[in-house]
Amino acid sequence: MSSAVRAGAAATPVKPGRARLRIPTRTPHQAAAEAGSGRLGGRLAGVPWALPAVLFVGVLLVYPFFRSVYGSFFDDNGFTSHYVGLDNYTRLIDDPIFGRSLLNTVLWVAGTLLLPVLVGLAIAVATHRMRRGRIAQLVVVLPYAISGAATAVLWKFILTSDGTLNQVLRAVGLDSLARPWLLEWPASTISMIVASTWQATGLNVVLFAIGLRAIPRDTVEAAELDGATGWRMFRHITLPQLRSMSVVVVGMAVVNSLKAFDMVWILTQGGPARSSETLALTMYREAFLLFHVGYGSAIALVLSVIVVACSWLYLRRQMPGTSPR
Amino acid sequence: MTGRHPPVSARERTIYTTAAAARPSRRGLLRAAVAGAAATAATPLLAACGTAVGEPPGKVALHGDNPGWAAPLKAAGAAMRSVDGVRLVPEVIPSLESFEQVVKSSLRTSKTPDLLKYWSGYRLQDLARTGGIVELEEEWERAERKGWVDPSLRSAFTYRGRVHGLPMNLAYWVFYYNPAVFRDHGLTKPTTWDAFLKAADRLKRAGITPLHATTSGRWPSFIWFQEMLSRQDPQFYDALMNGRARYTDPRTERAMRTIASFADKGWFTSLDMDQATAAAAMVHGKVGMVPGATWLSTSFTGVGGKVGENVDTFVLPMQDPKAKPAMIFESSALVCTVKGPDHIEALRASGAWLHPKVAKAFSHTLQDGSPNPLVPPANAMIAGVAETVRHGKLRLLNRFWELGPPELVESTVDDLAGFLLDPSAYRKTLTTMQGRADEAWKVWKEADA
Repeated sequence: MSSAVRAGAAATPVKPGRARLRIPTRTPHQAAAEAGSGRLGGRLAGVPWALPAVLFVGVLLVYPFFRSVYGSFFDDNGFTSHYVGLDNYTRLIDDPIFGRSLLNTVLWVAGTLLLPVLVGLAIAVATHRMRRGRIAQLVVVLPYAISGAATAVLWKFILTSDGTLNQVLRAVGLDSLARPWLLEWPASTISMIVASTWQATGLNVVLFAIGLRAIPRDTVEAAELDGATGWRMFRHITLPQLRSMSVVVVGMAVVNSLKAFDMVWILTQGGPARSSETLALTMYREAFLLFHVGYGSAIALVLSVIVVACSWLYLRRQMPGTSPR
Repeated sequence: MTGRHPPVSARERTIYTTAAAARPSRRGLLRAAVAGAAATAATPLLAACGTAVGEPPGKVALHGDNPGWAAPLKAAGAAMRSVDGVRLVPEVIPSLESFEQVVKSSLRTSKTPDLLKYWSGYRLQDLARTGGIVELEEEWERAERKGWVDPSLRSAFTYRGRVHGLPMNLAYWVFYYNPAVFRDHGLTKPTTWDAFLKAADRLKRAGITPLHATTSGRWPSFIWFQEMLSRQDPQFYDALMNGRARYTDPRTERAMRTIASFADKGWFTSLDMDQATAAAAMVHGKVGMVPGATWLSTSFTGVGGKVGENVDTFVLPMQDPKAKPAMIFESSALVCTVKGPDHIEALRASGAWLHPKVAKAFSHTLQDGSPNPLVPPANAMIAGVAETVRHGKLRLLNRFWELGPPELVESTVDDLAGFLLDPSAYRKTLTTMQGRADEAWKVWKEADA
């Protein structure tokens, strides 16, 4: 290969008066060293550097993952265990709580995609060139600085039967709309998605605002010269230009909604009667509270497969250069 | 790239190019996604981690789930130092669930805590089965000989005939009410079932929600079930909770129908009103009666309640006057682990726990009842309840939470929450609960064989 490079270099005509390109070449000694004779500095040169990271990932991620997969084939109560094959997985199919949990998780994914992403985009676009738009953005971003747990506590005051929301509804004569938001399904799950939206929208506004600033000014000016304004500008210029940022925002929304936990745990603890549990919460309850470790591992595996599959499929689809031919 | 896309205009090409420049790399995004998945799995695992380290000589750590117990444990530790030279260091994991998972996951390791505040009854038996906790038979016998412990509590702390925990507190389950509000409406403390119903009815007509019922916090869903069963047929309650009777029995149906009738009359508060809020509402005259253990009294006094003025208690009268009077009690267990780092000192502390000086320091700081009959009541309200128990020769029944295999209790609590939300479906709830009970008792007995 190196000789071909040298030959190519020799064959390249050089125009008079123009600086000659310096083409890197290797001596036969260097080429021999690359062939690898077991000496450090060859292909294995990077191994010692990568080893700590490989060990770290192996111990903290790969081993626990495969250990969980292995554990899901056992009926394990934390103290004794015996092999049950695929029983834990067949139990999942018959378990109505798992079914409800899966449905709630789907609701979380759909809700989180619809609400925080769309609201975040709308606020970012509306405030992009607005006077004092940054102040408006700051107000929306503030809830993101609050922890998920604190947000949940705050929303508990709002959503309980005697909470602020029902008090306001009754005060304005909308008594018929007042309800025990956290006690009825699906109102409980939807309420929690709204609470989560209140917090998560701020980050999306920031990301979309960054995306909007990255749009080249000449592109916008060209579109304006062509008469594009308002919705047409948004549809044909802004939205396509924000595509890369949308990929990140939507991807994060999907993963975060699939692992929804803290908000649900503090507001309802998955109740009443386990009606508002998500997959992450069902896994936690089964594995760590009821000590059905094997069954919990099976749920964890199902959740992991869903998270990775969704992320993988979504990202592959969003990468034009990597879509199937 | 262009070969795989329809032809594009120059302007659109500019857009694509800009977008591509801003686009993050595929590998980076995929890496982020995998990291997200890993975080999903790792978060609960991290929460499950918990370790205990040894205390310096003369000190021993006692782990519990209740932040409100930190000061009483410190007081008990100070008293214990003068009795036996060991001081208690309270360590609180302020969540029932986190505490339980830390205990269970660490019990087989040397990182387990030395002393635990645990539950009595079947939960204690469940822990004793692991072989990870110490028998405290000698300590119990010595305390009983000296009159330091009520012998009737023994069965709640026994596994296979041997004591595995010592009682820490003795809470009685009572009904709180507001004497001032009762007076305003011409009511007195109910001493019969009919008087109780009459009080609820009158309060309702006066615009006060008569009774507190809740699913908030999950576990309180069982309160009305245990109260009704124990007031209608205490013998049956004991049999049902110990797997000798069925949830589909007509006596269970009767208890459920009674609760459903209260709900139908609009006597219950909204089910998401937690106990602390209910305590405040009762003190301010918005809720009539709140069922709860004597440990709840601090919630009332904490919001300005004054015992005897606007807070007092009564024991819910028996619905069946012919039945032997009973009431529910609750007692936490002091447990000593096998593998704790300060094992010897932990055993010494266990031996000194029921000493009157230690028990008094603990119960008076906690403002709750003591399992040591020699300890004077912490306050007038506790004294009144203890007197009612002694004078009325009430049979003490352990709380629902501590009775039956823990797995069964955890699930039936959820079933009872569902029932409170839809009381008309009580038959379906009981059938579901019986199905769970059949399975859970089978597993429990097999493991016990």
